[in-house]
Parts: sequence; structure tokens; C-alpha cells
Amino acid sequence: MNRTNVICALFGIAFGFVFAAAGFNQYDVIHDMLLLQNFDPFLVMGSAVGTSTLILWLFERRRCQTLLGGRLELRRWAFERKHLTGGVVFGIGWAITGACPGTASTTLGGGSVMGIVLVMGIIAGIALRDLVVARQVVPMPEPMPEVSQP
Amino acid sequence: MIDVLPIPLPWYVVGPLMGLTVAGLYMITNNHLGVSGAYVQMVDHARGRPIEPWRLWFLGGTFAGAALVALLGGYPQAGLGYGALGEYLSLPALILTLFSGGMLIGVGSRWAGACTSGHGLTGCATRSPGSMVAVATFMVSAVAFTFLLHLLTGGAL
Repeated sequence: MNRTNVICALFGIAFGFVFAAAGFNQYDVIHDMLLLQNFDPFLVMGSAVGTSTLILWLFERRRCQTLLGGRLELRRWAFERKHLTGGVVFGIGWAITGACPGTASTTLGGGSVMGIVLVMGIIAGIALRDLVVARQVVPMPEPMPEVSQP
Repeated sequence: MIDVLPIPLPWYVVGPLMGLTVAGLYMITNNHLGVSGAYVQMVDHARGRPIEPWRLWFLGGTFAGAALVALLGGYPQAGLGYGALGEYLSLPALILTLFSGGMLIGVGSRWAGACTSGHGLTGCATRSPGSMVAVATFMVSAVAFTFLLHLLTGGAL
């Protein structure tokens, strides 16, 4: 148990709290948002991104040090095809369940039995995707010469 | 359960607070907030790969935070409930639907590299190009598929 992990757990509590307080762990809230009948979740997401973008932009520009993790390094990913393909699949799952990974743990935390089903489904999906990737990577046309192993 | 917290709280309260957790986690620990990564750690651990423990600590926290909200403001899905979807489907069908839907979420978030939090909240906040594309894609995909479900169920969903 180190300091960073405890702080991450505290941030998890804060995040889970606001997430549930926004009603994001309720099927009806997310479903009505995706039916474009309730725009409040969009406003939550928009104001959340607005707030954090501004803060992170300011601190990045000043080359700030983080309290425990060294110089602030904002992670960014260049566009790849996987963002489209993964995004489409993710969206369909989101539409069917009204849930995302954050929803699953907060559904469970709220006391829903269905949260267990969601969590297990998500873990199974990640494992399945890893398996598919591993199959795609394994068969190499020209195997590298074996280095002698102990 | 004590009803002191009116759920959902107004967007202008929870939105900025949610943004502060994203920025705060970065400013203190230099970690990119995301939830699906925690489930990836579980799969990695099962395969004997190295893991990032902080993600699991964070996930445990989200569980506790939601429990706190349920205690203070109640939770309509407590027990076997699942909103309109729970009313529309029988229990076995609901479980099957949530599990297979959950698998699509797992495949999709692993494929795209992150989910609604890692790309949607934090990736947009770091102005990550790939994240923005992923967000636009899953928003369009989710809205389109929800409208399709709405039509197929005769407006029940």
C-alpha cells in the first residue's frame, strides 16, 4: 500500500460519487440521453470536459510538476483505425445496456445485482479481444532464428 | 438509506466536480483517469502480465463512492431492478442481454484503447486526437443503435 494508490482510491470514491450523483449508473438516464430526450448528461460531460481541459491546459503550459508523479505529462493518442472500429462496437454495447465501464462498477456499488453481470461481461469482452489480437499476432511468416535459451 | 441527496444533482454541480476529479488525479499522481483500464488489469493479472495497481484502487473507489450516493439518496436499480430494460425483459433475458452487451463494451473499449471515461472525459481534456475520434464514433454508434432499438421494440425502449 503506497501513498499514490490510496490517493487513487480517494479519487475513485470522488469519481464514483459524482458519477452516481449525476445518475450515470441508471439505465433510464443513459437511455433517455441516447434517445436524445434528456440533454442533462451531455451538459454534465461537456462541463466536466470544459473544466478539466482548462485546468490541464494551464498546468501543462506552465510545465507544472505533479505532487507525486513528476512532471505533468498529458497522454495523447494519434488517430488510428481502431478508434473507429472499437468505437462502433463500444457504442452498440452502450446502447444495449445503457452502461459503460464506469457505470458497471457504480451500478454494483449502488447495490444492483445486475452490476455483477455487467462487470463479468466487460471482463469477458476484454479477454476475448485480447485473444483475437494474440491470434492475429502469433503466426509470423518468417520466424526469427531461435536464440539459445537456458 | 437517508434521502438527503436529490439524484440526479444539477449538471452544473456534478459536471465541474467530475472535471475536477479528472484534473486533480492528473495534477497529483500524473495518472490518466479511466475505468476500463482497471478491468484490463484483471485480465492482464490472470495472464501473468505486469499490472498497474493504482487502476484497481481507483475502481474500488468508484464502487464505494456509488455506494455512498445510494445510502444518501437511494438507488432505483438496487436489487434486481434495471429501469425500463428490466421491465421490458424477463430476468433471464435481462441477464443474457446485459452479459452480451457487457462483452461488446469490453471488446470495444479494449479495441479503441479506452472508454467513455479514458477517451470521453480524460482524453478529450488532454485534447487527444484519437480520443476525440473515438468519442464521436461511439456517440454516433450508440445514438443510432438506441434509435434502432426504439423502433424494433415499438417504442417500449
